[in-house]
Amino acid sequence: MKRGFILLFVFGFAILFAQTAANLTEFKENIANQKVEAKDALKPYRFDGSKITYFNFKTYKQTKEVEIYLFNNTDYRFSFNGKSLPNDVTVEIYDKDKTQSNRILLKSFSGIQGENIVVESSELNDTYKNKKSNATRLKRVFVNYQIPGIPGAQNKTPTMKERAAVVLVMGYKN
Amino acid sequence: MKRRFLLVNSMIGLAFLAGSCGGEEPVDEVNEIVQDTVFAEDQFAALFEESPEVDYHLPSPLQVASIFKKSGLDYNAGSTNLTDNADNYTDKLKQKLNFGVYSADMAYCVMNDQSNEGRKFLTVITDLSEEIGMEAVFENKDLMDRFDANLEDKDSIEILMIDIHERTEMYLEDNDMQNEAAIHFAGAWTEGMYLGVYDFEKNPGKEGVGAQITEQMSILNNIIKGLKDPKNDGTDLGWLILDMEEIQAAFDEFDSVIAFEADENASELELTDEEYSSLGELVKALREKIIAV
Repeated sequence: MKRGFILLFVFGFAILFAQTAANLTEFKENIANQKVEAKDALKPYRFDGSKITYFNFKTYKQTKEVEIYLFNNTDYRFSFNGKSLPNDVTVEIYDKDKTQSNRILLKSFSGIQGENIVVESSELNDTYKNKKSNATRLKRVFVNYQIPGIPGAQNKTPTMKERAAVVLVMGYKN
Repeated sequence: MKRRFLLVNSMIGLAFLAGSCGGEEPVDEVNEIVQDTVFAEDQFAALFEESPEVDYHLPSPLQVASIFKKSGLDYNAGSTNLTDNADNYTDKLKQKLNFGVYSADMAYCVMNDQSNEGRKFLTVITDLSEEIGMEAVFENKDLMDRFDANLEDKDSIEILMIDIHERTEMYLEDNDMQNEAAIHFAGAWTEGMYLGVYDFEKNPGKEGVGAQITEQMSILNNIIKGLKDPKNDGTDLGWLILDMEEIQAAFDEFDSVIAFEADENASELELTDEEYSSLGELVKALREKIIAV
C-alpha cells in the first residue's frame, strides 16, 4: 500500500517533469530553426557566431546585456530573431555598457516578437558619429534587451508561458 | 520555492499515510523521497536557467585571422605551432587550449592561401576533439572530404571553417559546455596575438598589424571573465588566468593607454615601440607555456 502511494507520487512527478522537459526540448528545437533563419538573413555576410539570450518573463522589468566587438572598420550585420518570445521586448544598442551614464543610444526598436530583424553596423556608426563630435568609429556595441514586467508572471517557478529567448546571430563582410 | 515546499510536504504526508498502512521504515523512505524530490526540483529549475545579466560575444578564429590579414599581416612559414606536438598534449587543459591554438593556426593558413598546411591543422584539431569529448563535431569525416575536394577554392574552405565553428558552438551549447569555449578561445586568442606579434617584429612599421594587436587587447578582459566561470572550477586554470591578468595589467599601465582612456575625444590607440615590445614579450611567454609539451 505504502509503496503504491510512493510510486503514485513519483510517477506523478515524473509526468510533470517529463512534460516540462518535452516542452523545453521543443522550445530548444525551435531556437535551432530560428538560428538558421537568422543566419540566412545575414547573407552575404559571413557567419561569425551566435548568442542566445534566455530569460523568463517576471512581474518586474529586467535588462540583459550582450557586448559585441567591432574590429578594424569591418562591416557587421546583427540578425535578431524574436520567434521564441511570448511577449515583446525592446532592443536598445549603445556604445557603452549599462553602468556608464554618458553612453549613447545608437538604435532602439521593439516589435521583435515573432520577427527577424537585421541591423547593420554602418547605421550604428553613422548615428555614433552624428551624436558624438570627433568620433571616428565604434569599436564595440552593447545590446540591451529591455524586458517588460508581465502581471501575473511566475517569478520563482516559471512555466512555459514565461520562458523566452532572443536569438542574435552576428556576421561580418568578408 | 513554493512549489518545492508543496511537493515536499505533500510527499511527507503521503509517506506518513503510507507508513500508517503497515509499511516498514517510514522515516528512511521519507528522507529518500525528500532527497529525490529536491534533486528533481533542482533539475526542474535548471530547465529554466537564464542567461547572465551581462554577456559577450567573442569573434571566431576565422574573423580574427581575416582582420589581421586585412591589416597587412603576411604569412610566415614556421610561425605556427608544430602539429607533432599534438600527441604530447596529454592533459585535458593543454588539449583544450591547443584545440584553440590549432584552430587559429588553421584560420591563419587558410586566410593566407596555405590550404595544404591548413589541412594538417584540421587533422590535428579532429584528433584533439576526440580527446576533449567533442568528436561529434568532426564525425563522419565529411569535413575532411570537403576540405580535400576544395583545396584550391579558398572561399569554400572558409565556408567549411565557418561550419566547423558553428558545429562547435552548437555542440557546446547542446551539451551545456559553453564555459569551455573560453578555454578554446584563450588558446586561439594567444596564438592570434602571437602570429601578429611575430609578423610585427619581423616587419616593423606595419602600422595596421600593430593597430590590430592593440585592438585585440580589448577582448582579453572577457576571456579572463569566461575562464573564471565557476563551471571551470576543477580545471587547473590558475596559471593561465594569472598570466592573462598580468598581460592586461601591463597593458592598462602603458602611458599610451592611460592617455587614451583619459581623452574622451581620442579615436585610435597607438602604442610606443617600447610598449609593443613589452606586450609582445608577454604574449610570447604565455604562448610558450600554452604550447609547451
